Amino acid sequence: MSGAAESARIALPASGGALAHVIGVARRSPTFVIGAAIILAFAALAVFHPWLMPHDPVRAFPTQVLHAPDAQFWFGTDSNGMDVFSRVIYGAIYAFAIAAPVVVIGMAIGVPIGLFTGYRGGWLDEIVMRFFDALRVFPSIILALAVVAAAGPSLLNVILVLGILDSPVYARVVRAEVLALRANAYVESAVAAGNPTWRILFVHLMPNALQGAMAQSAVRAAWAVRISATLAFLGVGIQPPTPEWGAMIRQGAEYMVTGQWWVGIFPGAALIALVLGLNMLGDGLQDLLDPRRKAATR
Amino acid sequence: MAILRFLLRRLVLVVPLLLAVVFFTFMLVRIGGQDPVARIAGPTATQGEIETIRSELGLDKPLFAQFAIYLGLVARGDLGRSWISNRPVLSDIVERVPVTLELMLWGVGIGALVGIPVGLFAASRPNRMFDQLSRGISLLGFSIPTYWLGLVMLFVFFYLLDWAPPGMGRVSLMLTPPPRVTGSYLIDGLIAADWEVVHSAAAQLVLPVLCVAIISAAPIIKQTRAIALEVSASDYVRYARAAGLPRRQVQQMVLRNSRTPVITYVGTELTGLVGSTSLIEYVFAWGGLGQYGLNAIIAGDFVAIQGYVLFLAMFSVIVFVVVDLAVMILEPRAALQG
Repeated sequence: MSGAAESARIALPASGGALAHVIGVARRSPTFVIGAAIILAFAALAVFHPWLMPHDPVRAFPTQVLHAPDAQFWFGTDSNGMDVFSRVIYGAIYAFAIAAPVVVIGMAIGVPIGLFTGYRGGWLDEIVMRFFDALRVFPSIILALAVVAAAGPSLLNVILVLGILDSPVYARVVRAEVLALRANAYVESAVAAGNPTWRILFVHLMPNALQGAMAQSAVRAAWAVRISATLAFLGVGIQPPTPEWGAMIRQGAEYMVTGQWWVGIFPGAALIALVLGLNMLGDGLQDLLDPRRKAATR
Repeated sequence: MAILRFLLRRLVLVVPLLLAVVFFTFMLVRIGGQDPVARIAGPTATQGEIETIRSELGLDKPLFAQFAIYLGLVARGDLGRSWISNRPVLSDIVERVPVTLELMLWGVGIGALVGIPVGLFAASRPNRMFDQLSRGISLLGFSIPTYWLGLVMLFVFFYLLDWAPPGMGRVSLMLTPPPRVTGSYLIDGLIAADWEVVHSAAAQLVLPVLCVAIISAAPIIKQTRAIALEVSASDYVRYARAAGLPRRQVQQMVLRNSRTPVITYVGTELTGLVGSTSLIEYVFAWGGLGQYGLNAIIAGDFVAIQGYVLFLAMFSVIVFVVVDLAVMILEPRAALQG
């Protein structure tokens, strides 16, 4: 078991060459590679969208309302006569534009809280953790929906609220790592050398405590993509005809039972693919960062 | 005796939690930037009319005075009246609890019935075909948006195949609901011996239950597999294997030691599924508590939101107590430590 851990750590620089490195990763976690490939594909859609979209995503073709998929409209048109294919591509931008800042905000808030509470312990730690426990009583979609509705539904609010609501996840993992690291000699010597607390937290502890949080980030990005789409589906936050996947599914919902399936199916399929990619990346990351987990399954 | 003491201690801890939940929700809906009065009054209301409504709802008083009044009402078992329908929130909620429970328990029950054996079997042959397959399926289950799954089900089984009824409520609109006993049309129909209602209620249940089952099975498979693997890797199981115990007996050991964590997990899963179930209700016009809560939040109906959230918190508490009791009965050792 320790052999597996050892090789995981050394394999990266020792095997030499970027290609060998990629192959090494692929062999140890195919899930990671497939996930990364899916995400890259969507990133390419987002970056190269001006060249990939056959039509303007918000241009209505009034004579082509609810047009079935054909050579001109690959994914058909919606009830406004807008091209679903172009809108699905454009939706990738929203997915990344929401997920990335949500993860950054969540970490920016959660990591310092985890560092501090884990290092200090005591009543503050107790209060913060009990508060986080209490928040867990609520399903995340209900909490997100309530806070976004209260704060006023806008794209910025959706991002802020999701980021803040997700910060306990990072705080928890970082805290757990700090609890284990705190007793190490290097921390003790850093204290003895007279380092201020912030320096111990951010310079000495953080680099070692971040691994778990990093492994979580992909799964949390998947959560952000899913929840933000759910909010849009419920009509809170992003509104149709914005080319966002959740809003598009909302638009397509009523046509599912009348046979115009393409309006809602395609944005949902794109949503599943990206979320699946992120989840796979997260799953693979955990395997790679925690070789014991993988070893235990052998 | 130990159980009684445990329940009492739980009860003492629950009161501050519920108080905190009530306070948190109360403040959250009020300090947000949204003004519900303008929405209730409508776009043509004059400033005077808006002020009248505001004072009628008691929203012109200081925040803490409002909270004190509300708390007093709650303590007397009155959750107030909805601002939008003007119906008492408590009876609206109580009426809807069994409706949601029916959907959830069927869904999670089937999800667990399928998920736990799949997870256990996958863990017994790790990294083999079945394991990889179940891992892939559970990842997919994690990634499907609940509401989209519901819509696809309706498209396939109602529109294309015409096997299922349209997603409009819990019983066909042509039928009169049975006299209320439990609140579940299926059970009430059986009690009233109204077979048409039973048939229709069962048919209406199939698709939403299937959705909840699929959504709940994914994490159950993943977690059961992880738990069983952890138990298999534990020292005592490795010792048993090294000592040459037959495979069957070792597996039984793994099974028995996985039982408690799996039950605990399915319990927490139940509270986590409230959100997904709400979305399923929304898609199938189920009319349960979940849909009630979503609509209240979207409409900014403060009083209804507060009541709904309070019930959610109570539901979580009850589930956790039931799970702990189950664990106590299965594993008296844990009870002694607690």
